[in-house]
Amino acid sequence: MTWRDAIALARRSVGRRGGRAALTVLAVALGAALLSSLLIASTAAKQRVLDQVSEGGPLSGIKVDAAAPSPVALDSDNPRPGPPRRIDDAALQSIARLPDVVSVLPIIATPMVFEAPAVLPAAARATDNDGRPIFDSLIGIDLSRINDLPVTLLSGRLPDLGSQTEVAVTSDFLSRIGMTTQNAAAIVGTELTLGAPRDFDSGIGRRTRARWTRAEIVGVVSQDAGSGLVISSLDLARAAQAWTALSAPSTPPAPPTSPYADLFVVAHGLNRVTEVRTEINNVGYSTSAPESLITQVQRYVHVVELVLAGIGLIGLAIAALGISNAMLAAIRERRREIGVLKAVGATDRDVRRVFLVEAGTLGFVGGVLGATIGFVVARILATVVNSYLSSEGLQTVRLGVPVALLVAVIGGATLLALAAGTLPAIRAARMPARQAIGDE
Amino acid sequence: MDPRPQPAESDRARPQYRRDVPSPAPATPKPPAGAAVAVHDLSFRYDTPEGDLIVLDHLDFEVAAGTTVAIAGASGSGKTTLLSVLGGLDRPQDGTVMVGGHALADLGRDEMARYRREVVGFVFQDFGLLGQLTALENVELALTFAHTSRRRRRARARELLDAVGLGERVGHRPRALSGGEKQRVAIARALANEPLLVLADEPTGNLDAASSAAVLDLLLRVPAERGTTIVVVTHDQAVAARADRRMHLVDGRIAAS
Repeated sequence: MTWRDAIALARRSVGRRGGRAALTVLAVALGAALLSSLLIASTAAKQRVLDQVSEGGPLSGIKVDAAAPSPVALDSDNPRPGPPRRIDDAALQSIARLPDVVSVLPIIATPMVFEAPAVLPAAARATDNDGRPIFDSLIGIDLSRINDLPVTLLSGRLPDLGSQTEVAVTSDFLSRIGMTTQNAAAIVGTELTLGAPRDFDSGIGRRTRARWTRAEIVGVVSQDAGSGLVISSLDLARAAQAWTALSAPSTPPAPPTSPYADLFVVAHGLNRVTEVRTEINNVGYSTSAPESLITQVQRYVHVVELVLAGIGLIGLAIAALGISNAMLAAIRERRREIGVLKAVGATDRDVRRVFLVEAGTLGFVGGVLGATIGFVVARILATVVNSYLSSEGLQTVRLGVPVALLVAVIGGATLLALAAGTLPAIRAARMPARQAIGDE
Repeated sequence: MDPRPQPAESDRARPQYRRDVPSPAPATPKPPAGAAVAVHDLSFRYDTPEGDLIVLDHLDFEVAAGTTVAIAGASGSGKTTLLSVLGGLDRPQDGTVMVGGHALADLGRDEMARYRREVVGFVFQDFGLLGQLTALENVELALTFAHTSRRRRRARARELLDAVGLGERVGHRPRALSGGEKQRVAIARALANEPLLVLADEPTGNLDAASSAAVLDLLLRVPAERGTTIVVVTHDQAVAARADRRMHLVDGRIAAS
């Protein structure tokens, strides 16, 4: 008997006992749904926690400060930096050439005066600096590599690449003007006035004047790329930086400013972060990375994953026992049918194959159904959780389609069903052929 | 004259239990030319809590190829066990059974399955059709295990269903067929592999008089046209009357032939 014939016969047999087959499939489906939904939820939760720790950037991200490394606490996640040191393109290139470095992204921070929107959204409340300009920094980042930077979009969108008229404000900016991230969307679409300062020597003393531009606030972000309240394209930040750099020399002379405030380096995997940090320290720059924290969080989350997977597997194992029980009952009922199969020439192997295929079919159908239900349940949970996170102005949970996980659940359910069906199938195969005639 | 001690007449009315049954040294005589079935000194017993229940007791007979033999006897006389031994559903415990050159006692499990697949065809009292399959698929089933291609077995099944007058009902499931039609499907299935020997266990036992006559006619005519040997267990005198030879079993022995 070929596998094709066995599948055809098993399909008919399963279909004939529709009620029992449906209940058995339902048991498997519930187990598979429990397993898949728990695993999807735990994977999403893990990603969310790690995103929180890494501020949305890659887990193997390293921040390089415009400072020499401090000789103490080099192995700390956030060591105290040493004396200031310029980061220029040459330094960037030398770091980019280090082994296990995937990418190096420059961060520009330039002094800026911000004037909040003339008409603040109703959500804003009065603060101490209500109506007065805010002196802080504009951060320029490579918007085309946003996924490699510790920047998380909370509301709206990011500025277009190279745009001189679009910016995104940070959650810190919101708090400076009396808003919270819960009503971040209210500020999107309003206009922000930016003033790049330059010091002039007016003869009677130094005076600071600003070159004013206007930009639309297109989004709100949470970020750890640099120290500043507003992020923009590199071009916009460079233009402001160039204007400010032409300030009249001060007395005493100010220390030379660094073209780049920071670099954000991505290492080739979390396990290479320590080595890359050491190499960067050797080049002469201070680094920080939450590698220890991420490793610890990963360890704890992995334990949670194991526990949840264990609960799901117990559900699936109970379903497998249901399959075994249903198959054994079916064999008791189908002694006569087994006898007829043997009377017309079926070998033990043929009979075993038919019953194994039946068990596998129940497991596969239950697995597909369960994986689908589990995914839908996870989506519903994610929707509920995301609506809460959004209302709190927090980054939402990203839930993709975990194809590998779903395929694994379906495969696991099928294999478990085959294992559960093995004993009944062997028992059926060993049943004496005489059942076809009936005991005298 | 059988030299062995004969059981008392009163004992014959009920099964006999023995603690010890001698096993004669098996001789393997060749069946005479023209014999499809040769049974020599065949015994069969079941283990029961009360001891061995002897069901077949030193049977000797031959069946010529292409003939029809009717086996009659009271319930418990060993008819069905004899049929299951001839059909390879049970293995001879003592003695020899040769069917078409196959010594059944020597066959392994897979060889026995092959024997059932290639040498014999069964017709059961309760038809033995699989309810989840159509008439066509039930007939095909016998060819499925013979590794016949799907196209050939479908053509063969249609041909046989045409031969038993069910060419228009190939797609019907057993529940949609009458008792007579079910038995005709079973006869078609029994003939699917062109067997040497057809074994029928009370083939008309569940049928009304009209259906019995039609099925009996079919059972005796269609295999005969193909030169097939038929052994039929029956209580039905009409069946026995149409057989070439009749055997009467009493307590596992041939009382009359």
